[in-house]
Order: sequence, then C-alpha cells, then structure tokens
Amino acid sequence: MRVVVADDETLLREGIARLLTDAGVDVVGKAGTAEDLLRRVELTRPDVAIVDIRMPPTQTDEGLVAAQEIHRSQPTVGVLVLSHYLESHYAMRLLEDHPQRSGYLLKERVKDVALLVDALERINEGECVLDPTIVARLVGRPREQSPLDELTAREREVLALIAEGHSNESVSKKLFLSPKTVETHVRHILLKLGIGETADYHRRVLAVLAYLRG
Amino acid sequence: MRRAVVLAFAGLGVAVGAYSLGVAHDAPASSFAGRSTGGAFALLGGGLVLIACGLICSLRLAANRVGPLLAGAGVAWFLLEWNNPGVGSALAFTVGLCLYAACPPLVAHAVLVYPRGRLRTGVERIVLAAAYAGSVLVLGLLPAFFFDPVAEGCGQCPRNLLLVAGRERAKADLYRVGVYLATAWALALVVLVLARLVRANGRSRPVLVVGAAYLGLVAAMFAASRQRGFLWNGTLERRLWFVQAAALACVAAGVTWGWLAGRRARSAVARLVVDLAHTPPPGGLRDVLAAILGDRELVLAYPLADSGRLVDADGRAVELAASPARTSLVRDGRIVAVLAHARGLLDDEQLVDEVTAAARLALENERLQAEVRARLTDLRASRTRIVETSDSERRRIERNLHDGAQQRLVALSLRLRLLRSQLSPLAGAGARARLELTEAELDSAIAELRELAHGIFPAVLADGGLAVAVRALAEDAAVPIRIGPLPEGRFLPAVETAAYTVVAEAAQVATGPLRITALTRDGSLVVEVEMQADGRTLDRVALEDRLGALDGRLSIDQAQDGRVTIRAELPCGS
Repeated sequence: MRVVVADDETLLREGIARLLTDAGVDVVGKAGTAEDLLRRVELTRPDVAIVDIRMPPTQTDEGLVAAQEIHRSQPTVGVLVLSHYLESHYAMRLLEDHPQRSGYLLKERVKDVALLVDALERINEGECVLDPTIVARLVGRPREQSPLDELTAREREVLALIAEGHSNESVSKKLFLSPKTVETHVRHILLKLGIGETADYHRRVLAVLAYLRG
Repeated sequence: MRRAVVLAFAGLGVAVGAYSLGVAHDAPASSFAGRSTGGAFALLGGGLVLIACGLICSLRLAANRVGPLLAGAGVAWFLLEWNNPGVGSALAFTVGLCLYAACPPLVAHAVLVYPRGRLRTGVERIVLAAAYAGSVLVLGLLPAFFFDPVAEGCGQCPRNLLLVAGRERAKADLYRVGVYLATAWALALVVLVLARLVRANGRSRPVLVVGAAYLGLVAAMFAASRQRGFLWNGTLERRLWFVQAAALACVAAGVTWGWLAGRRARSAVARLVVDLAHTPPPGGLRDVLAAILGDRELVLAYPLADSGRLVDADGRAVELAASPARTSLVRDGRIVAVLAHARGLLDDEQLVDEVTAAARLALENERLQAEVRARLTDLRASRTRIVETSDSERRRIERNLHDGAQQRLVALSLRLRLLRSQLSPLAGAGARARLELTEAELDSAIAELRELAHGIFPAVLADGGLAVAVRALAEDAAVPIRIGPLPEGRFLPAVETAAYTVVAEAAQVATGPLRITALTRDGSLVVEVEMQADGRTLDRVALEDRLGALDGRLSIDQAQDGRVTIRAELPCGS
C-alpha cells in the first residue's frame, strides 16, 4: 500500500513514516503543509493520505479542508485524518462530507502500528474509520431513558464496531462470531434503536452515528 | 430713564425732520428733497424710519450699539439739507456745514456691528475711523473754518459761526480732497460689509445686503461729484439720493425683522423655563432646545470634567467635527455644554445667555448624568476588554498546548514505540516492561493534557460556534443533557464564550438531567438551562461578572423540588 504523510511537526511526520515503512507500507511522500500535501497527492496518487488536522498557517482545520479537497479532486485516494480532538464534530465534518475512504483517528494512535495499518487497509478498501475512543464516548455518554439500555452487552459491542466503521464481515472477524450471528445482532440493534435498515454500508454508519450523537 | 431719553430723542428727531422739510420747501434750489411730494416722502421716510427703528432697538437691546447708531444716522440723514444757503438760521447752517455728510459712516457703523454690537477686525475699525474723519473733518469742520459766505458772494447765506479766516482756495481744495476720499472710504466700507456677508447668518444677511447697497449709492454719489469738487444736488445726485432713502428704509426694515425673529426665540426661552419646571424633560434637554430654536439637527454635548471629551446626555461620545457652527454655554467661567447648530442660529449672545440661565438647573443635572453614564460606559468597555483579552489569551494557551506540548508528547511516545521495536531480543523482560509502563504513562499524560487544554478553552467553540460546542459538551458530561433548539448561527466570540460558560458551569454542578435551550430575541441571545442541582454550588459571581462585562443579565431560580432554572440574556445585536 502507498501512502503520503502530512504533518507540520517534523518529528511526528518522520516517526510515522518510519513506523509504516517498518510495517511494510510504502511511504511515497511526506508534506509539512496542506498545500504541499495536495501537490504530493497529485504527483504520487497514493492509496491513502495521512493528514494532521491542524496545519499552518492558521492551525485550525487545514487538514479537514485538505481532506475534502482530496476527496473532490482524487476520489480514489483515501484520507486518514489524525487529530487531538475528541469531539465528534470534527470527525463528522469529514465523514458526512464524504464517508467513502475516510478515517478519523486520535493522534496518539500512531504508535499502535497494527491499528494504524488496519485503519489504512480498511480505508483503502472503501470503508470509513472512526476512532474507538470517540465512539466509546458516544455510546457511553449519560442518557435519560434510551433504547440503548435495552441492548445486550454483545449488541453494544457490535453497535460500537459498526459506529467505528466496521463491516459485518470485519465485525464477525473481530468478535469471532459467524457472519450469520452478526447479521442477526445488527438487525436486532437497528430494530431496537428504530433505525431503518439499509443495505448501504456507509449510510448505515452515518445513521448509527447520528443516532448516537442525537 | 432710558425711556425718557428715547422719547426725547424721538421728539428731537421729529422736530429735526419737520425743520428739514421746511428748509427744503423754502429753498428748493439748493435742496435734495425740493418741493416735490416724493422728495418730502424720501426725506422724512429715510430719516424717521431709521430713527424709529434705532430707538426700538435701543429700548429692547439695551447694551447693543446698533440702536443709537441707527437713530443717529436718521438724524444725520436730515442734516444734508441744513447747509442749504436758504436755511435761515446761522446755527442750523453751521451744523449743516459740519455734519451734512455724517450719515453714511453712521449707517456703515450700525451695519458692521449688526447684530452683535461689536466690530470684529482691526481693518473694520481703521476704515470706519477714516470714514468718520473723512466725512466730519475733511468734508465738514475743516473747510467750514475757511468758508466766508459773504466774501464768496452768497448774499442769502446765514453767518458761518465757525469761520476763522476766509480762504476760498483752501476750502475748495479740502472739499475736492474730501470728495475723493469719500468715494474711497465708501467703497472700502462696501467691501467690508460684503466680506461680512460671506460669513453671515440668515438673520443678518438682508441688513448687510441693503447696507452694502446704500454705501454703494453713497460712493456713486461722491464719484459723480468729483468733477465739481463738492457735493451738489445735481440731477444724478438727486436720483441717487432718492434711492439711498429707499435703501435706508430697507436697512431699518431688515433690522426690525431681525429683532422680531430674536424676540420669537426669546419668548421661546420663557417657554423653556416652564417646560423645564417638569424636569427631567422626556426627550432630554436636547429635544427641548431643538424644538425651541427650530433646529432639528441640533446637538447638545457635555464636556467631561477630567478629559474634556464631549458626550451626549446618555454618556456616548459625540463628534462635532461636521457640524456647521457651535456655541458654548458658559456658566461661572466654565463650559457646561456645547451646542452644535445651524449657522447663525445663536448669533445673539443675549439669547444664548438667556437660554443658559433658563436651562441652568436642567443643564447641570443632565451634565452630571451624562458624566456618570459616560463613566459607566467606559467601565463597561474596559470590563469587556478584560474579558476579551483573557479569552484570547486562553485561546492562545490552548493552541500552544495543542500544537506544542501535545505534539511533542505524541512524537515522544512514537519514538519510544520505535525504540521498543528496535530493542534487541536479548534485552531483559524487565526493560521491556518498564518501557511499556512509560508509554502508558505518556498516554495518560497526553489525555490529561488534552483535557487541560479543553478546560482552558474549548477549541470546538471557536471552530464551530455555540450549538456545536454545546453538543460536544453533551458527549462528555456527567449527567444526561437534553438539547432543545439552539441558534446555529455565529455570534461575537465574547458572546459565544459567555453563553457556553453558563452551560458548562451548569453541567459541572448538575446532579440530574439537564435541559438546554437557546434563542435570539429582541437583539439578545437568551440561554435557558433547567436542571436538577443545588443552585448554591453554582459560581454565581463568576457568571455574573462574565455576563455583566457584556451588559448581559443572569437569573437563577431554585424551585422547591430541587430544579434549578438558569437564564442568561446577552445582547448580541441581532
């Protein structure tokens, strides 16, 4: 897999590149600014671009804006945004704009090379990826009486994985369940939460996230 | 006393007029008026109208010199007839010889000091002095010393009481020079009056125009006489004299009109006194003055005691730069207020004094109030600045933590990870475990730093606004937060931060479910939080300080069942 890494902090950029290279990922470009990133992506046509959310000049959301730009100009290139922000608002800006081949992870995940590579692979396969911590916050936030209370522990696990962007197949692998069982769980969950069933994977993720955030 | 003087002068004027008319009738050959009805009309009309107008002005505007000057000019108008050889009386003949040309400088003087009663420039003083000297000395007194009527063959002439020595030549030269000079000073006076006209206000304009016309006619008359070398009742001169009479009547009419307009303003001042008895006036003193003076654009400003900065009654800064004219209301040598008004509205100093006196108490009241309000405004602005400064400082620290410390920590943890992967398989399990422990601690340090940065300033508030930040808050709160309708638009950073602070503080102390709604109404952002909590645990002072800095209001109600309702109102200008 070919990736481009964009982060204005040199230490991080080099570290991530190094880690990925060691894990067998082909780092084809490195960038310190959003502008540089767009140029490299254009030049190298990577499978996925890893983008820091805050980059010069304003250090606010340059990464998100660049991600949207990449999605628009190079729909085949996946984008993984790395961020310090736990608030789902930032992730949703990315996913709602373009759920295919999008990912949002907390920055400290970068040292967990297995998780990082897994996320990159899922993005490369067209799925979307959302950081487990952010999803856990959404699932676990205090609620007044909610249908969520009626879910079994296993169903909550499945729900979290769906929200993180896992496909049924991926969920079954992660939980060591048969695909049939996962399908049943998913159907039950969606029924209990009152979310209409949809065959479209991305739409399902967004519907679940919207439910959890509302 | 003054009334007696005025009456006496009026009697004198009528007598002089009647006598002059008699002279003109008896000796028409050397008269300007002659025997014609028109001539009599012009003679009496010109003089008596001026005298009447001058006397009224003297009575009404005691300190003003315009009145006496006009009355004097009226009498002097008649004296042009008195140097007539057929005048009969030696005394009248002598007075006539001296003063026949005294009318123009007096009229010019009255016009130049109108309406304030003062000359303004040194040039005016010098030209006027030259005019007096030219008319009374060069054309009057000096040649009279050398004029011996008998020696010059004027058999019918009365005796010249001032005769010193009969020198016909010297007398003729003086007259010739006097006529040239008179043409010059009369023209100079025309120029001065016109110069006045350029800067004059509406009320004095007509007087200046007809005054200039009159002086122009005088200059023309002297110019017409320069060949002959003395003033004579030739056909052209007589025509000019008739028009002069009309011009003088117009001068008198103009002055009278101006006086009447002033009187209207003064009777309005009397109304002001009554109006201000019901203090404070509903629309403020400015509205009362604007109505009385008939200037809707009138601005009333008060100078602040310490800085002299001008403010209106509400204490807001006032800029007077663009206003056409301004008048200071002075009380005991101190400027209590400044009026910016239409040009010429307050040229009458007496009127200004009367207004100041009538409105004294109300002015003083409003000035003090304006002073207090201005201080309040300053204070509020300074509070807002303090809050804004502290907010932007927090934002800066949050960014520094994010982009500095946090980035470095993540980079560090990444390095440790690389280090661990490079660790030789021979290294002890102890070293590996210690490294893992360090990594775990670094992780929690990163998480704590994130929380710290968020606590200092939530970046999501600056990035997404109030609604987004409140929803983000609900993801992390200890109690369920139900979010009602929220305005999705953006507000000023200080307003958003204040509103968010109220919600975050409420979420902090809530012990049970919390409900938030916010809406904009009447230019205010209204945030309402309902929750289960002990209201006393709220940091009320901090919230009130923050809202107060933006001129906002906070109310906290604790119901019996333990439900607390917090309501914050923040002016947001939309």
